[in-house]
Amino acid sequence: MGSVLEQLEQTGLATWIRESGVLYGYPLILFLHTLGLSTLVGLSAVIDFRLLGVGRGIPLKALERTFVLMWAGFALTAATGSLLFVADARKHALNPAFYVKLLCVALAVAILVMIRSRVFRDQSAGRALAAASLTCWLVALSSARLMAYISEFIS
Amino acid sequence: VNGAHLHLLLNHIPTVAFGVAVALFLAGLIKKSEDLTQASFVAFFINALLAIPAYVSGNAAEYILRDQPGMSAEVLAAHQNAAAFGLIVMEMTGLVAWVALWRFHRWVIPTLLALSVATFALMARAANVGGGIRHPEILAGQPALAGGGWPEFAAMGTAFIVNHPWVWPICEILHFVGLCLLFGVALLVNLRMLGFIGGVAFADINRLLPWAVIGLVVNVITGMLFFLAAPDQYTQNAAFGWKIGLIVAAGATLLYPIVSDEIRLLQRDAPVSMVARCVAAGSIGLWIAVIFLGRFLPYIGSE
Repeated sequence: MGSVLEQLEQTGLATWIRESGVLYGYPLILFLHTLGLSTLVGLSAVIDFRLLGVGRGIPLKALERTFVLMWAGFALTAATGSLLFVADARKHALNPAFYVKLLCVALAVAILVMIRSRVFRDQSAGRALAAASLTCWLVALSSARLMAYISEFIS
Repeated sequence: VNGAHLHLLLNHIPTVAFGVAVALFLAGLIKKSEDLTQASFVAFFINALLAIPAYVSGNAAEYILRDQPGMSAEVLAAHQNAAAFGLIVMEMTGLVAWVALWRFHRWVIPTLLALSVATFALMARAANVGGGIRHPEILAGQPALAGGGWPEFAAMGTAFIVNHPWVWPICEILHFVGLCLLFGVALLVNLRMLGFIGGVAFADINRLLPWAVIGLVVNVITGMLFFLAAPDQYTQNAAFGWKIGLIVAAGATLLYPIVSDEIRLLQRDAPVSMVARCVAAGSIGLWIAVIFLGRFLPYIGSE
């Protein structure tokens, strides 16, 4: 496992992201990661608010088109996230906060799919799903931010 | 234009421009003119946004001035603390003014009256102490003006974030939470204005808008704490000035949907005018640019 991660880090792409030092390298990938996540998390939170009763006059049908943008945001975040992982594969693989973040993102995305299929299509109440979604995003954002501190602490 | 020059230009906003806004507000109350009071609410909110660059440019000026002969570190610190006190009350004024435009309540008039007069007095004091930086004779014989006994909010903010190692990471988390709230709600509102989202009256979407403002408030507070921890790191950074400038412009777009009658009264499937579409597209572009500069800030570094 360790050698696979090491090989990943030594690929030309990983070295370029990590060491090129140009602004269209690491910082640009980081910006696109932030843009993707704020689109996905922001719009998902708006839907959660609506299901919890803020702006309850908004017909769910009107919010359906936001799913295209959320999936685009998810794709952008996942693609750029993979690049950021490859650049420091061993460091991230050792970081417990990284796994907490991945788990919470997976849960939050699964909840979003359930909101789409159950609440939007079948009109069932989505309060519990909305609360779970907000909690997952909050833990995902927190553990993501804390990754740098925790990796410093354990090394 | 260097930092000191910029501060001399911008420091007229929280003093002179804000005084004009207070005058508009009082005139509106006396003449019982709703148009005048509405205009003063807009002016309060814009002033509160512009007070942020006015404040941070003060640290840019201090960076240039502090090593010059005859500079009194005490007077510089007193001016900064006086300005921080004024800024806090100014931001509260801007926030209440936005709420008043979003949905009018009776309590906003006495609240704004108290807050705006307090802001004006506090900013006048900050300006007076600031004048004493170059003209010590102003403060001669008035030691009470120079800071003694007043709350030292700038120093308190710096001590809070520097002395507790948990404050910075917690603020980083909150800064991202605030960013997602602000960007998500602003995106939805602007997508309705662009017509990408239809089938909903704007009045219903309008209920979400305060959450964008809550996100903005969280990010201004946490952002100011980052700034207070290491002002030179920010004032000497090429990306920072642009980021603050774009926040003012992007923040101002939060006024458009609540001020424009066209948008406030927009029906379910009604088309939107070209002007409103341009504002919406500009708003999304500005917030993305703010995120871009925030992310690039640590990599662009000092000049």
